[in-house]
Amino acid sequence: MRPPYTCNRCLSLIKSSRPQLRPTPPVRIPRRHHSTKPALPKLSLPKRGLSSTANRKFNQAFEPFEYVDPEGQRRRTVLSEDNLFHSFTHSPVPEIRKRAAFMRQHAYCPHPSHKPTRVAHSDGDLESRKSSETGTVPAHVNFECPDCGVPVYCCEEHWADDYEAHLEVCDVIREINQDDHDLRSGRFFKEFEFAEPQMEEILVNMTSWDTYLYTRDYDALNEDREMRQATKLLTYPMTIASVIHELSPYNIRSGGSMTPEGLKSFSALRHTLHPPRTGGGDTWKNPRLAPPAVRIFVLGARAESSLPRETWMQMIYLFHRVQFSLNFIGPEAMMNRSEPLPERTPNNPFGAVVEDRISNALKISTFVEYYHTLHKTGHFYPYDPYFDVFVVFHPGFGNPASMHEWEETLPLLLETKCPIIATGYSPWDTKQDVDFLQTRFSNEMDILLDPMENRFRSLRWDINDFDPHDVSCDNWGLYAFRGKRYETTRKDADEEVHSERTE
Amino acid sequence: MPYRPFQSTYYNERMQASPALLRARAPYLVKNTITGAAIVALVIGIYTYTIKVISQDEFEDVIVPPEPVRRPQSGSTTDEVKLAMAQKKQ
Repeated sequence: MRPPYTCNRCLSLIKSSRPQLRPTPPVRIPRRHHSTKPALPKLSLPKRGLSSTANRKFNQAFEPFEYVDPEGQRRRTVLSEDNLFHSFTHSPVPEIRKRAAFMRQHAYCPHPSHKPTRVAHSDGDLESRKSSETGTVPAHVNFECPDCGVPVYCCEEHWADDYEAHLEVCDVIREINQDDHDLRSGRFFKEFEFAEPQMEEILVNMTSWDTYLYTRDYDALNEDREMRQATKLLTYPMTIASVIHELSPYNIRSGGSMTPEGLKSFSALRHTLHPPRTGGGDTWKNPRLAPPAVRIFVLGARAESSLPRETWMQMIYLFHRVQFSLNFIGPEAMMNRSEPLPERTPNNPFGAVVEDRISNALKISTFVEYYHTLHKTGHFYPYDPYFDVFVVFHPGFGNPASMHEWEETLPLLLETKCPIIATGYSPWDTKQDVDFLQTRFSNEMDILLDPMENRFRSLRWDINDFDPHDVSCDNWGLYAFRGKRYETTRKDADEEVHSERTE
Repeated sequence: MPYRPFQSTYYNERMQASPALLRARAPYLVKNTITGAAIVALVIGIYTYTIKVISQDEFEDVIVPPEPVRRPQSGSTTDEVKLAMAQKKQ
């Protein structure tokens, strides 16, 4: 192509006489989010065949380079899209190297020749293969599997020996490895730009993540990695919303997992969540009395309370003309948060961090306390099944490490007769919790939602640093229960339990 | 990705459905295809029946009248009328 600005003859003369002076390669255009999409179109100005600026080359893929993202902020990319799989020990990200060192100090090799270090939690657990009589001293993990990049066994012989068991989780761990590097690569995350609120008449289809994202008009998440990163955050608000919304995918037909008791509880909630239009508006000319806010108590809150507020607002955008009060209660509720706890005053007797400026429909309060402490003071009394719902995210009711913390809280929760939505972080964890509840409280509680895989679970899996083979995903399993109501009966009359007349 | 304000992200530059859109449509693909096929079959059926009922091949029930006897053509019609009026006057 004829260069438009430089004379052809001059060009050929210069090029032939000075072979070192090459035309600059095009500036490395930052690859935004897919490696499959073509790079940004070149500048519309025609390029000169010869340039007077210095020759710039981008050699290593993870040499950090600065770029300006679509929001106009300068960011530093550390890793590119196709360079995300790195061994944890030799990772370019220092945080991940620290994690690898932590794993080497705390995680034990799962090969059956060692002695067991903990109780096996399920039949599929690798600890159950170990025996305490014939086992050798337990060893910390040291050897990194070359396929997944995470230290999983103590030595190469054990890894090769136990290869079939490792293969079950190897590709999941590899994916986790890539996702963790991706999160710290410094790229612009378009999947964390959530959708704006829509009008009430647009019905949201909550059959699955894809239909939800499409009907809520999110930007299209075409890549699997984008879906995984986005759903890891969105799973918390969407798990709650998918259960309490009237367009919930859980129904009382034989495939849907709701029970008739569940339908009763959630219909009461939905009566408040979808109020009929009253003719009122947001001007002074047509005010109407508003009902009290719907209270959602998130118990045992850890990382959920530090989720960006825009994420929690995605749940609020599904409900119109309703106000919500979200209460995070738990001893670790201020995890990852840097706000100082306020003093305990008569107006704020538990030193809660209250955020009421998020929106006119949402107020978030964080209590760093056990729930049973707050319950016994009657701070939230009265509990109304039309307005209140309890949510527990992977509580570990049946997990020996956390069972004792829920001892006191569970009977009090059942006493309130409000629905309790609970999740589990893997199939065996959900089963462990449900089995514990059934054995301990079977005649005091009703199951509202049968335990099954959550449609709005996080699609991204995580490694447990204490046991790399225990891969978990947020909110994998979902179930709901409620305390049974005891009706007073006459001594001589027939006992009617849960009939239409007495309830 | 450049921000295109009036183009939906669910379609690429050539207006083909993106993977996210195809995934969102997937649970309804079979049911919608069957419904579409049923509607098209209904339309074809209506057309076929109508055309079949109104199209006939036998015409025996139509009686063609015999050719009327014609007078030899003497002139135009106006001359004939004038002749008839003159005959009437007389």
